Amino acid sequence: MSGSLDAYLLLAGALFSIGVFGFLARRNAIAMLMSIELMLNAVNLAIVTFGAFVPALTTHASVIALMVMAVAAGEATVGLAIVIAIFRNRRTPLVDEYDAMRE
Amino acid sequence: MTSADLTALAPLLAVLGVAILVLAVDFVLPGRDDLAVALGVVGIVVVGAVTWATGGGVDGAIQSAFGGSYAVDAATTFLDLVFVVIALITLLVAPDYLGPRGLPFAEFTVTLLFAISGAFLIAGSADLLVLFLGLELLVLPGYMLAGFHKREGLSTEGAIKYFLLGSFSSAIFLFGLAFVWGFTGTTRIAEVAAALAGGPLGPGLAMGLAFLTAGAAFKIAAVPFHYWTPDAYQGSPTPVTAYLSTGPKVAAFALILRVFVESLGGIRAEWVGAIVVLAALTMTLGNLVALTQSNLKRMLAYSSIAHTGYILVGLAAFAAEPAGDPSRSGLEGILFYTAAYAFMNLGAFAVVSALQRRPGVTSEIGTYAGLIRREPVAAVLMALFLLSLVGIPPTAGFFGKAYVILAAVQSTDPAVVALAVLAVLNAAAAAFYYLRVVVFMFMREAPEGMPPVGLGGILRERRLFLLWTGLAAAGVGTVVLGLYPVPILEMVVKAAAALVAPG
Repeated sequence: MSGSLDAYLLLAGALFSIGVFGFLARRNAIAMLMSIELMLNAVNLAIVTFGAFVPALTTHASVIALMVMAVAAGEATVGLAIVIAIFRNRRTPLVDEYDAMRE
Repeated sequence: MTSADLTALAPLLAVLGVAILVLAVDFVLPGRDDLAVALGVVGIVVVGAVTWATGGGVDGAIQSAFGGSYAVDAATTFLDLVFVVIALITLLVAPDYLGPRGLPFAEFTVTLLFAISGAFLIAGSADLLVLFLGLELLVLPGYMLAGFHKREGLSTEGAIKYFLLGSFSSAIFLFGLAFVWGFTGTTRIAEVAAALAGGPLGPGLAMGLAFLTAGAAFKIAAVPFHYWTPDAYQGSPTPVTAYLSTGPKVAAFALILRVFVESLGGIRAEWVGAIVVLAALTMTLGNLVALTQSNLKRMLAYSSIAHTGYILVGLAAFAAEPAGDPSRSGLEGILFYTAAYAFMNLGAFAVVSALQRRPGVTSEIGTYAGLIRREPVAAVLMALFLLSLVGIPPTAGFFGKAYVILAAVQSTDPAVVALAVLAVLNAAAAAFYYLRVVVFMFMREAPEGMPPVGLGGILRERRLFLLWTGLAAAGVGTVVLGLYPVPILEMVVKAAAALVAPG
């Protein structure tokens, strides 16, 4: 089934799962941010795949993919700004240690 | 672009215009916070007037723009007006909190207004892509607002938790959206509904639907997707918490109305079970954990989770309706509840914001002892908001709860009727922790020698005048929606009709 719609969608699903796993398993805020980017790129791969294999979706796919890229860039910007802000206060990027409010 | 397009876009353009105006004025005249306050408050009132004047559904007509991807119907106008109220009360209450702490007000206004423009975009989206853009435009400024007190550890800690889980859930939602688009071949909400109408659900679409549900559940903070809520709400500056607990929540319900009711409404038998479980878990866990909290902001955060559960009861009541011509009372319940919730929750957080760090008061419940003697008006208002959150007549909260629970009781689905019973039990349990605060304020004595709280002097200090105006607005809303809900009910009925109207 190589070269089929299903194969690429499975790849996108695998990438997305790696992203989810990274987000849940890593304790470094930057690594979690990277995992989110991986998830968004998996979404983009799925979108481009639909565009490549389903003729009716071809024109829409590139527009949607571009939009997702723009959103991902915006999210990364805000995220890095917040990580820098908390690093200045706490001197650590490890989310385990952000526990001032735990009851 | 035609003039019809402009009419549909007028509220959105107005809110963006005000935001850009405040930004520009702050560039030219930096540090003039009083000017930013005036422009922001007057601007949002103008936005409200524009929304009202150009609103859809006055005669049942739907105005659309951008080739039909943005449409203003009665539901859009109703939700937009709720957002305007939320923004207005937040802007009135905020200067008193931000000013003494050295936080810039112009940036606050601009960030808040951009977030509101995202909420407007969600409320009017007729296309899943526009909906996602609106969602991002709503949450990105929200993350910034949560970390607005950037030199304070708690604020940035709340912000990073909000950001990480928020963008995680956005990615999940987007993944679901990509699959729904891929397998239905369209992003238009009406066309997705039409594509789903024929035939059973394929595996790809089912997966897309599951991801959409999980993403939306994160955004409304439904259990078990609620972990970010208490920390984000407790850590944020209190006026921001007031906004975060109402604005993004109402917007997330607007998203649910567009995606689940309009686009996936035809296959509601497929997702009603998930909503029933989410609603039951959300209200029960929210209330149980709220019982044990000693910090008022954290308690109100868990209480807002519980209220999400009550609103979901309305959604479950709609989803359990048989195919064909469904009863709309569940949807009407959701819409009315969001308006009532906006007033009472904003009011409660506004009182906390006003009192925080005034002499002898923090956000710990114990410091509210004897408040009735120290600051009687604030204590009475707080009691009003808390009683409304409990759901005691004749307040807005009572009507909201009655509406969703009645809709659920009338359902033919036994699971939804059981959910209504659970909601009533929950409301009774919740009374305990809300009334505990009232007991502290009215029946305990303050420690000896406490200075006055110092919220008087309305006429001398402009910030206090704005604060009391905001509190009064929330109080009047809470009472009026309870005593004379007829005008709002008329709007709600029209809005719900627009949501299930064919086409």
